[in-house]
Amino acid sequence: MDIKKNKYYKLWIKDAWPYITGAVLLSLFQIITLTTTGNPWGVSGVLANWGAWIYEAFGGSVDKWYYFASEGAQKTLESGFFNHGGSLRNLGIIVGALIATLLASGFKIKKIKSLKQIIAAVLGGLLMGYGARIGFGCNIGALFSGIASLSLSGWVYAAFLFFGAIAGSKLLVKYFM
Amino acid sequence: MKEVELDCLGEACPIPLVKAENKLKEMEIGDVLIVQIDHSCAMKNVPEWARKEGHNVEIEEVDDGEWEVIIEKVK
Repeated sequence: MDIKKNKYYKLWIKDAWPYITGAVLLSLFQIITLTTTGNPWGVSGVLANWGAWIYEAFGGSVDKWYYFASEGAQKTLESGFFNHGGSLRNLGIIVGALIATLLASGFKIKKIKSLKQIIAAVLGGLLMGYGARIGFGCNIGALFSGIASLSLSGWVYAAFLFFGAIAGSKLLVKYFM
Repeated sequence: MKEVELDCLGEACPIPLVKAENKLKEMEIGDVLIVQIDHSCAMKNVPEWARKEGHNVEIEEVDDGEWEVIIEKVK
C-alpha cells in the first residue's frame, strides 16, 4: 500500500499538528526539563555558548567577558559541547525539525528573493539575539519558562512582545508589501 | 472569469497571507486566485483565512515543500 495514502501517515507525519497538540506537548516537555535538570527550558542562552565556542575555535578568549565571567559559565564552556545538556537539546530541535520535514516530503531549499530579505534577516537576527541576552532570555527562557514558573517578569515580557510585534508588522508592511 | 497567479515563493509568514488578502480585494466574484507558497505555515493560515471568509479553497501539493492554494472568490 502506498504510504502517502495511509490515514495515519497523513494525520501524524504529513499534515501539521494542531496548535493545541503542540501547546500541550511543549508544556509537558518543559515540566520534564525543569524537574530533571533543575533549570527551566531555554534556547537562546545556549546560542551564546555556541558563539563563545566558535570564537574560541578561532583563537579568541571570553574569560574576561562579563557575561561569561562566573565560575559556572566558565565551567560550562570548559566541559564542551557534548557535556552541555542545553546544546544537545538545541541540536535535537534542529535535527528533529529536519527529520520531520523530510518525513513529510516537505524539504526545500528556498531561493532568496531580494537583497532586502537578507538585510532584514541579518538585522532581525542580530536584534533578537542581542535583545535576548540583554533581557536574560528569549521567548522560551524568559516568556514561556517565566510564565510557567509563575514569574511576573514573564508577563511583562509578554506585554512588550506585543508592542514589538506591532512595530514589526508596520515595518513588514512598509518594506515588504 | 479571471485566473490570477500570485508568486509568494521564498516569502515567509505573514507576507503570503497579506499579499493574498490585498490581491483578492481587487478581484471580481468568480475570479480564481492561485497563491504559490513554499512556507509551510502559510499553508495553514492562507486557507484558514480564505475559508473563514467563505471562499472556495483547494490546496495542491505541486512539489516537495511547495503548494498552490487555489481560492475562488465567491462574494
